[in-house]
Amino acid sequence: MVLLELKGVRKVYQQGKVEVAALRGIDLNIEEGEFTSIAGPSGSGKTTLLNMIGCLDTPTEGQIHFAGKETARSSKEELAMIRRHNLGFIFQDFNLVPVLSVYENVEFALKLLNGKKKREIKEQVMNILKAVGLGELANRRPNELSGGQKQRVSIARALVKEPKLVLADEPTANLDSETSHDVLEVMLDMNQKLNTTFIFSTHDPLVMEYANRLIKLKDGQTISDERKRFDSN
Amino acid sequence: MGKLSVMREKDLIVIKAEEGRRMFLIRLALKNLTRHKRRVLITASIIAFGIAVFLIYDSVQIGINKLSFNNIRNLETGDLQVVNKDYWKEREELPLKNLVSQRKELMITIKKIPNFKAMAPQLKFSANLNNGLDQLPIIAYGVEPRLHQEVFTTEKYLVEGSMLSSGKYEAVLGKRLAKLMEFKVGDYLTLLFKTGEGTFNTIDARITGLLHTNNPEVNKNFVYIPLDIAQQALNLKGKVSQIVVNLGQNEKTEEITKRLTQKLSQKDKDLTAHSWREFAGEVIALSKAENVEKSVMMSVILLIAAVGIVNTIILSSLERTKEIGMMKALGLREREIILVFVIEAVGIGLIGGLIGSMLGSFGILYLNIYGVKLASLGGISDWGLPIMGRLYGYWNPSAFIFVIAFGLIVSLLASILPAYWAARKDPVEAIYDRY
Repeated sequence: MVLLELKGVRKVYQQGKVEVAALRGIDLNIEEGEFTSIAGPSGSGKTTLLNMIGCLDTPTEGQIHFAGKETARSSKEELAMIRRHNLGFIFQDFNLVPVLSVYENVEFALKLLNGKKKREIKEQVMNILKAVGLGELANRRPNELSGGQKQRVSIARALVKEPKLVLADEPTANLDSETSHDVLEVMLDMNQKLNTTFIFSTHDPLVMEYANRLIKLKDGQTISDERKRFDSN
Repeated sequence: MGKLSVMREKDLIVIKAEEGRRMFLIRLALKNLTRHKRRVLITASIIAFGIAVFLIYDSVQIGINKLSFNNIRNLETGDLQVVNKDYWKEREELPLKNLVSQRKELMITIKKIPNFKAMAPQLKFSANLNNGLDQLPIIAYGVEPRLHQEVFTTEKYLVEGSMLSSGKYEAVLGKRLAKLMEFKVGDYLTLLFKTGEGTFNTIDARITGLLHTNNPEVNKNFVYIPLDIAQQALNLKGKVSQIVVNLGQNEKTEEITKRLTQKLSQKDKDLTAHSWREFAGEVIALSKAENVEKSVMMSVILLIAAVGIVNTIILSSLERTKEIGMMKALGLREREIILVFVIEAVGIGLIGGLIGSMLGSFGILYLNIYGVKLASLGGISDWGLPIMGRLYGYWNPSAFIFVIAFGLIVSLLASILPAYWAARKDPVEAIYDRY
């Protein structure tokens, strides 16, 4: 089932008097449960594309349908609500709140949703923390964690509300290869258990290796789109 | 009905979720205060300083007002005065016409007013005080010694000798005036004045006592002599300038004064009553001016505090740009991000308010117990207030509430624009903090 559909998406930035096209007509369909990697050199438009998909930015031209809803022309408030309920983000720099504990950082995403009881929230947060291997560290502050642990918190925060889609921008850029492996395993595990769709923007060959679909961009255009059989071994 | 109750249940869930969300954001905002403790403390200290200064100033101002008003009431005006309407118009010139006749009927009317405690007739006139070598213009008070004591507290301030006796050529004056004219107790002074008919006359009186009151006006300008001696010398038998009344309290003075004026007008159209406040117009005006001064001072201090708050919030939002981006990615609305920053600012205001109130309380406690010598505050006569001696601070709970609330409001208002600026950041720019 198609979760995301992009048709002729263009994004042009105005830099002084010069117009710079970051995306030059992207057509793309993402199925539910896909573990997709968007790769390409710097300036190829990966992050811009991820921002369009993540409702953080709107295209200059084209259409984006997310879960059947057109988002390209939505208002700021509508986009915020789509992000709140349907999207999870994992950042390169983790972007955790240093004054909140691991538990509270994850709780933050759930607190924004309606209709959750305190007990439910606690159960959900603890479950996801256990799933990413941080059940014992719930009361720690981010500054007491390693890079890999911080990224796991970030993953837990993105996944706790069980979003339809998780977007990860260079999730392994600040991690060593062993930790990157661990973190990708966690995400893959979540993808398989919860059928959550993941889209990565990355330079990292390891991430591309894990992905079951690899989209390559160059100069704001898709130059290849390959699906591969995922081999967990 | 079923649909309606489902809708209500849904609304309730949304409201509860909204509350839970708000509480979480408030908790986050308060935790944010612990990020840069020194910065928060510096900004809070500015607010605390302003609040402490305001509270102490307010306490001293109440002290000054109480002292001046009491000094005026207890030493100069009593609670209210009965005078002739025409005399009232020219009272500054101390005329010897349009005086009040000491009629029994009038005395009975006055005695019947509510809260009546005592009354004392006075004959006021301008005179020159002469010591044989020099002379000084003064205000002479012809008083009935026994009645005077029932209305005024003058005797309490007698530092040498004794008070007057009726029918004797005696005088009591301020120690300061006596020192200036080189008088001591037992000396004779001469008062030179014009009588009611415009002829010159003198009174030679023996000084029986010297006063040192809290009212500099009394100390340097007043000479008291027995009323009968004054009336005889001025050729104004049975006439007085005013009848001063003691009501024992001053909360209902204005109302009682009005009622007395009405009663007086039924019997004698020329007579009227005036409360001490009408005599103390200058002092009240000064007190009002002090209020303006206090407001200006408060505004300046809180303006500095507002700048501190704006600075703190802008710095915080610059430091937390990526975090703001993350919040936006999580789906926080602009108004929710504004709430986080505004609560943070209000938190700083509250810390400042509490520290300021504590410091202010210490200051007021000291002033309340030990007071401060007015002489140590500089030339008190320059203040134009009828006060001397020791000044005490007074507690004013409403000032605490007002100043803390004001501090919080200023913090809140000062933070709205920078918080709005922070919340309006483009999510993409904020996440990658490109600028």
